[in-house]
Amino acid sequence: MEKQLSQKFYEAMKDLEPRYPNKKALILPALHQAQAECGWLPPEVLAEVAAYIGVHEAQIREVASFYTMYNLKPVGKNHLRICTNVACCLRGADELMSYAERKLGIACGETTPDGMFTLSEEECLGACTTAPVMMANDDYVENLDINGLNDWIERAKNER
Amino acid sequence: MPKCFVDGKEVEFALGENLVKVAKRAGVEIPVFCYHPGLSVVAQCRMCYVEVEKMPKLQTACSTMAAEGMVVKTQSEAVKKGRQGTMEFLLLNHPLDCPICDKAGECDLQDNSFGHGSANMRHSEERRTYVDVDMGSVIQKNMNRCIHCTRCIRFGDEIAGIHEMVAIKRGNNIDITTIDGKQLKTEYAGNYSDICPTGSLTLKDFRFKKRAWMLKKTATVCEGCSKGCNMEIQHEGNVVYRCVPRENLEINKYWMCDEGRFNYRYTQDETRVVDPTLRGAEGAKQASWQDVVASIEVKIRNGDVLFLVGTDLTNEELSAIREAASALRSGIKIRTFGNADVTKSSEDGPADNILKMKSKTGNLLGAEKLGLEPLTGEAKAETVVVFRGGRAVLPKIDSKWTAGIGVFNREESAGFDGVLPGLAFTEKEGTLVNHAGFEQRLARAVRPRGGCKPVSEILMLLLNTKSKAGQA
Repeated sequence: MEKQLSQKFYEAMKDLEPRYPNKKALILPALHQAQAECGWLPPEVLAEVAAYIGVHEAQIREVASFYTMYNLKPVGKNHLRICTNVACCLRGADELMSYAERKLGIACGETTPDGMFTLSEEECLGACTTAPVMMANDDYVENLDINGLNDWIERAKNER
Repeated sequence: MPKCFVDGKEVEFALGENLVKVAKRAGVEIPVFCYHPGLSVVAQCRMCYVEVEKMPKLQTACSTMAAEGMVVKTQSEAVKKGRQGTMEFLLLNHPLDCPICDKAGECDLQDNSFGHGSANMRHSEERRTYVDVDMGSVIQKNMNRCIHCTRCIRFGDEIAGIHEMVAIKRGNNIDITTIDGKQLKTEYAGNYSDICPTGSLTLKDFRFKKRAWMLKKTATVCEGCSKGCNMEIQHEGNVVYRCVPRENLEINKYWMCDEGRFNYRYTQDETRVVDPTLRGAEGAKQASWQDVVASIEVKIRNGDVLFLVGTDLTNEELSAIREAASALRSGIKIRTFGNADVTKSSEDGPADNILKMKSKTGNLLGAEKLGLEPLTGEAKAETVVVFRGGRAVLPKIDSKWTAGIGVFNREESAGFDGVLPGLAFTEKEGTLVNHAGFEQRLARAVRPRGGCKPVSEILMLLLNTKSKAGQA
């Protein structure tokens, strides 16, 4: 099979390897690195990571599908992840989610046809003191309300 | 030996034994789902809670090793409450479709729910549902019933040597499946259904055929290869419905292969010859026992006669054939047959690194120990009589007249001039010697089909016919 991951990936892995007790412990960083490179994790990339770590593809599948940070489907340019766990839920995360769905015209888990936005539900982001929280690409947007969410989406639209 | 206490009873244990095993020896059954003695321990179902004195919380018995002087309580209030809580969680999404589930009657979930669960349910929310998935020719999956014990995943990884089952996603959204819904590849897939503690992985062959509690169970041995896996024939009304492995730690542990599991099918196949037949001018036709026996007896009186005996026959049948041969006439040659490529036990060996052996007949070593010689090349004689249990691969036969005694289907016996139907392994008793020299007993589970008779009785008919002919 043709290699999907670049030389850069393998070099990064080589640097990381001494930090972990065994190669299996490298699965999470390897998946992060692969996702940074490809944007999402297609089956071929998962298979290549499995081959690199030396475990069966099934185990990589289990890990990658367990964590919500790994995208098993292609995502849009902006990835909005709204936390819907207890603290955020009590502070109105459900309203934020349904507002975002209406605003973007997509359901949770989908991507807009122009490829600009992907909306997903997120497990606890560990920022309960500032609930509700959204993770927008790599940033946390805390104490979120409907106005804030609206502003963020408008700003992202204009940045195209 | 160190000792500990389970519910006040003193039990000895070996170092490294877990509390499930130790308690069992004390006569205390601890309920389990994810724990299986043949698989690694993961302690994730939380059903096997026990209270251990001086430990602050409840412990899972499967992952707690017994220690000197340990005081274990399996019936305390805390334990009962803990197990009841676990049962309530496990049943949150379970459809409780026991009336139409094949597992009902032999289901761990049912038994443990009855024994340790609550009669009431507080849960009123909607249950998650999945569509049934076809996982190849052996298994059909019903994810709704699954409790995520991961026994199947561990069986694939640790025993079958193929990590084909996966747990995708997590929590409430978890799905136990194969990668991208691929079909199961292992030749041991039937075990997935055996170890599943719910009706999630069902055997396609058995689906909706029979309720588990209607089945009668006969402990016997598989005749599928020289491994001699211990198994149980489950039958009702003279029909075999399925075969399941029986625990034998020295031979097959808890498992068996699909070939052995479904081997019984030929014994109740429509094409099996169950009446004596004789070839006349118009081809093979049903005939009376006397006619067929008489024509075989006439043919073996003179000339070059070869008895071909299958290595799928029992020790008792093989010795009876040998004794009868010398009583019938001197000079009858006896040769064994069974596999094209494995004729001696020295050529036998493992066919994979799980259970299967190269010899596809059950009594290769037994025949050898009785001093019977294998056939080499093709069977050439004026008259050939083939004795066969049903599995032995027929060699090329070059003769003027051939008779078959035993189990054949119509295609296999097409070239024969006379056929006397014998008993298959489900219908007879006898001894098989496996590759390692273990002598094991076949047990009779069902009555013979049609007019089939045991080999010993057929031999007696031949001898009687001979003595009557001598008197005349």
